Amino acid sequence: MANALWRPLPVFMLTMRQFFGGKSVWVVTVLAFLPALFGMIYWFDTTDNPPAFFLSDAIYRPLVIATLLPIMVLILATGALGNEIEDSTLPYLTLKPIGRLRIVAEKLLATLVVCIPIILAGLTVTYLIVFRGDAGQSANLSFLWALLASAIAGIFAYAAVFLLVSLLVSRALLVGIVYALVWESLLGRYLPGLKVASIRHYTESILVGKANDPDIALKGATGVASSIVVIAVVSVSCILISTWRLRNLDLE
Amino acid sequence: MFRKIRRKFEGEPPATSTASGDSRQVLLAVPDPSRPVAIMSDRPTVVLDHVSKWYGDLVAVSDLSFSIGPGVTALLGPNGSGKSTSLKMICGLLGPSTGTVTLDGLPARGDPKAYKNLGVVLDIEQVYPYLSGREFVRMNALLQKLPDVDTATERALATVEMTDAADRKVGGYSKGMRQRIKLAGALVHDPNVILMDEPLNGTDPEQRAHMIRLMWELGQQGKTLLVSSHVLSEVERFAENIIVIVNGKLAAAGNYRTIRERIDNHPHIVRLGSPEPRKLASALVTLPQISSVRIDKDGRIFVETSEVRDFYRMVPRLAKEKNVRLTELQAADESLESVFSYLVER
Repeated sequence: MANALWRPLPVFMLTMRQFFGGKSVWVVTVLAFLPALFGMIYWFDTTDNPPAFFLSDAIYRPLVIATLLPIMVLILATGALGNEIEDSTLPYLTLKPIGRLRIVAEKLLATLVVCIPIILAGLTVTYLIVFRGDAGQSANLSFLWALLASAIAGIFAYAAVFLLVSLLVSRALLVGIVYALVWESLLGRYLPGLKVASIRHYTESILVGKANDPDIALKGATGVASSIVVIAVVSVSCILISTWRLRNLDLE
Repeated sequence: MFRKIRRKFEGEPPATSTASGDSRQVLLAVPDPSRPVAIMSDRPTVVLDHVSKWYGDLVAVSDLSFSIGPGVTALLGPNGSGKSTSLKMICGLLGPSTGTVTLDGLPARGDPKAYKNLGVVLDIEQVYPYLSGREFVRMNALLQKLPDVDTATERALATVEMTDAADRKVGGYSKGMRQRIKLAGALVHDPNVILMDEPLNGTDPEQRAHMIRLMWELGQQGKTLLVSSHVLSEVERFAENIIVIVNGKLAAAGNYRTIRERIDNHPHIVRLGSPEPRKLASALVTLPQISSVRIDKDGRIFVETSEVRDFYRMVPRLAKEKNVRLTELQAADESLESVFSYLVER
């Protein structure tokens, strides 16, 4: 089955082999299930915080969206093209009669196909740990869908951004970490106006908007539809700039 | 300085000497600044027109113009001379700072269609280590959108004699095997233009002989091969024509034999040994082929000559005539750099 994908998607399949041939997938998997450990803290929480509030405001927003999710996506997205540049193997792809957009799109697809299930699995396990016996209730399931939709939007945007970063700078991992921690996290905290220029703001807005739960709120939240549009525009722009960059990249 | 090495070479056989008989006037190349040097250019497939590449103040390639057609052409030059940069510009990996490169009439950069008919073996160490040799070649066939991927893959593996090792991971290959699997990947779509950057690096004598035979055969099939090398003696075995690049500039271009002759005629330093060095040295000064003779403190004789082949022929005869025993006779400055320096300084 998997081998049948080589013909229509050779760059995607090559990238999947690259991901699973190294350690990065395992690092991402460990990071993805880290929130589940924090979820256990809720069992010992003596306050009356509702589980949705705890999962949203104690784990997902400050830990996952602000730090872990960008770093997990960063590890794979910068490796997808960045490792090819670092190892000088990119010419094996670029010296072929295939469009640069296709190379970028298949690399992005591989990043998403690996990131999305692992990160969503980690979040789902965390949800089950926090909500325990109430996990099956429909109101709580709505919260879970909001959580997962928000994460998917964040993964998509960060993957496109970091794929581009790996084509622009040689130390993409370092630059990506600085971007994730400084731009997405610190500056937004101290300069509230900058929040609207961060992916984090729109992923949080999707969570808050879709969950429609009185226990969780976001000051200055953007509407769900607008947030999705912004994330789509950012992602498509990054894909197009990456294609342009790949077309003009000098490979020494 | 290299502009002084100019002689018309546009289809007509290059002369080996001038009417005056002054070998220093024998010229090799046509670095005519106004148009590309043509080598077998009835059907030029690779054309460089006033191509330069610089990085800040560093000029890697300067005003390079030549065109090549079917057959094997060697791109010769010392390490750091601009060979790899030139090859990367020809295949579009690097954009020239000025000038244009075309492959079969298509711009080498910006149009992936140009790669339909191009195979490239770069001098890069890495080949995806997690793929088997067969998977790597097959991936190349898929990226070339070949209709019968499996047949093309097996044919390419057989061509480079890697069928038996094809299921092993590339990460476990020797350098010579990696070179061959890279070549299989470059040949899988049967391209008309093949660029190879130092393909003999890391190969053992048997692999080298096979690779050289393969290059020769591809040239005979009418493919255009441009093969870079810094080893003059190995070029002789596969290339009919050579392009010499020194310091990023075209130093010489043309038929291999003519250029080799020119190189043979450059002032050589030859070292001789004898138990009676002074007696031998005094006999040597009578030879017309030499320009100077000196004896070092260890008694070794150093002779400078511009006609090294004649000199090598004459010396044993002279030693026998003068009844002097000759214990050593060998070139003292055969480094390629000295030859290249000579070519550009003339």
